[in-house]
Amino acid sequence: MANVEKLRKDFPILNSKNAPIYFDNACNTLRPRQVLDVMNEYYEDFPSCVGRSHHKLSQLATQKVDAARKQLQNFVGAKKSSEIIFTRNATEGFNLIANSLDFEKNDIIVNSDKEHNSNLVPWLVIEQKKGLKRVMTTSNTDNTFDVEAFEQMMNKGVKLVSIVETSNMDGVTNPIKKIAKIAHDYGALVLVDGAQSTPHFETNVKNSGVDFMAFSAHKMLGPSGMGALYINQKHEDSLAPFIVGGDTVSDTTYEQAIFEKPPKKFEAGLQNYAGIIGFGAAANYLKKRVGFSTIKKQDLAINNLITDKLLEHNATIIGPKDAKERSGIVSFYLQGLDNHQLAMMLDKSANIAVRSGVHCVHSWFNAHKLDGSVRVSSYFYNTIKEAQKFNDALDKVLKVMIK
Amino acid sequence: MAICVIALVVFSVLGIFSASHRKIAKEAFDCVFRRLTLRKCETGLDKRLKSQITGSLMLKAPRVAKFTYKNFEVLSWILTILLIASLGYSTFGAYNFVRYGNCNGDSDEFCIFDALIPEGESEAISACGTVEPNLDNLIVPQIGDSHTIGPEDAKVIIIEFGCYSCPFSREAQPVVEQVLEEYKDEVLFVFKHFPIMTHNDSLQAAIASECADEQGFFWDYHTILFENDNHSKEALIEHAGLIEGLDVAQFSLCLAVQEYVDVVNTEIDEGKASNIYGTPTFFINGEPLVGPKTFRQFKRVINRELK
Repeated sequence: MANVEKLRKDFPILNSKNAPIYFDNACNTLRPRQVLDVMNEYYEDFPSCVGRSHHKLSQLATQKVDAARKQLQNFVGAKKSSEIIFTRNATEGFNLIANSLDFEKNDIIVNSDKEHNSNLVPWLVIEQKKGLKRVMTTSNTDNTFDVEAFEQMMNKGVKLVSIVETSNMDGVTNPIKKIAKIAHDYGALVLVDGAQSTPHFETNVKNSGVDFMAFSAHKMLGPSGMGALYINQKHEDSLAPFIVGGDTVSDTTYEQAIFEKPPKKFEAGLQNYAGIIGFGAAANYLKKRVGFSTIKKQDLAINNLITDKLLEHNATIIGPKDAKERSGIVSFYLQGLDNHQLAMMLDKSANIAVRSGVHCVHSWFNAHKLDGSVRVSSYFYNTIKEAQKFNDALDKVLKVMIK
Repeated sequence: MAICVIALVVFSVLGIFSASHRKIAKEAFDCVFRRLTLRKCETGLDKRLKSQITGSLMLKAPRVAKFTYKNFEVLSWILTILLIASLGYSTFGAYNFVRYGNCNGDSDEFCIFDALIPEGESEAISACGTVEPNLDNLIVPQIGDSHTIGPEDAKVIIIEFGCYSCPFSREAQPVVEQVLEEYKDEVLFVFKHFPIMTHNDSLQAAIASECADEQGFFWDYHTILFENDNHSKEALIEHAGLIEGLDVAQFSLCLAVQEYVDVVNTEIDEGKASNIYGTPTFFINGEPLVGPKTFRQFKRVINRELK
């Protein structure tokens, strides 16, 4: 188990004079020096093109980017590094699959009822465009995944199950391995939204058997504007290119283009090399310096403390009451209180950063006729002391807000 | 809504100087406009301001924070009414200032807009360049043998250090004349020469006024010198010719031999001893006024001294 206090020293913002208590990790995590340094190194030491030129700088940049791809391959347990496609974020990954998969009219796509907009809007658009049908699984009353209901709704017409692994709204993790097994039994493909799960749980795509998985760097200590899409190599030929141009082709004539194999096929134009290298460093840092046992332990300890305090105040927690089912997330609201005001007062009075609103899951909140919630999302660098400070600050703020 | 009205006014003013405040002003305008048209404020600005204010108060006075949070709308309306009242009062003051030259109307009370005047002219002086400008260092001079006009036993004594060739002394002269007209029975006015050497012929003009005094025409010639900016020897003699009864030949001789240079130098020394740093400088019963002030500013000090 890594030492949290020692790890905190890696994060410049946590060692600044007015360090915040940062509980908005489901939106964006902080970045350690190890990630920032390698990104700077690219710009300072070898700021050149990858895979295009033959000079030393380009060779070095190519090596670093290849190494980052390898780090990401190891991070998600992919078979080959070419299965890792660099994207701008998880959203781009969903869009890539939505636009590249060979959908036919009346093909069915399955989503859960609490998808982030990134895994909902692309399907809403493609549904109209290609005449597809979209169906939605409904969760159990405590917002956990209803496997039975899912199995009942599956049929041979389902082309793709595109589903979130860990919800950014309530922290509930869906049984992806089980879902993939059922989906495959019906001949469907599985695309996973791993944006919230990859930072908190050890991921192994070989083991879970998923076909695709989109995830983002900024939720796992990496740079913003970077993401990756895992594409199982067996699908590499069946997927059409999405964004095309430089680097995606091996040759062109005035009449046609000959496309490269993945990952090049899907990585058009000059890439965010510093971001890719930083992403690789972040994956490496999480796996080797932190370890998922540390993350799990911190998530649970902090979530337990905060959950207890919220229940003391009769707050409604979205999802199961048991903290261990909600990873590092506790999403709540208090009857009659404005979520945004509560969040802003925590920030102003105690320098605590939490998120308020609908967390890009408008559809779920609209369906449940709720304005939104306050979301406290922790990560391994958050401490018990910070959770206690949150609880104290919450007591004080509620004393002011509640009549 | 009330807080958005306040925010609109405050951030509109701040927005003149900063783009980030302009954005908030725009939000406030949108919020006010929507509420006036019976729609919901969508920007959340009112909530943000409420949270920011009460959140800050929580750090210092939790009870005040609770009171503010609970009564935020009422407090906002009170502040809005005060803001509108103060805007109305300020507008009335501005109207008075334009109409009467005083924001209090036809009165000589202190007006905040007086602060606007120094930006232009009323602090302007012809600096003598030897003394650091410092109002606090000024020492009140004696009347001495200087020229006076007005009753000897006047309650108010105004002493001016002036220079005939200084544009600011010249600018002050009509106000001095207005003061002497208005307070002819209450004010003793004393003029002391302090010719600024950087102005051409300033010393010569001062000596010429003493030559006019030799024949009893000091104040007539004093007025003419301030009315004309040409103080060459020929012009000074020509100006003297305008005074009925003055012997120009005697005047010319007096000027030629610079007979009264010592009189002028004595007053210059007095000015230096008083730490005068430019002209015109006035002392009204000892209170210094530097630069060509308005009649109202003179009036305010004189009336106070007369009480």
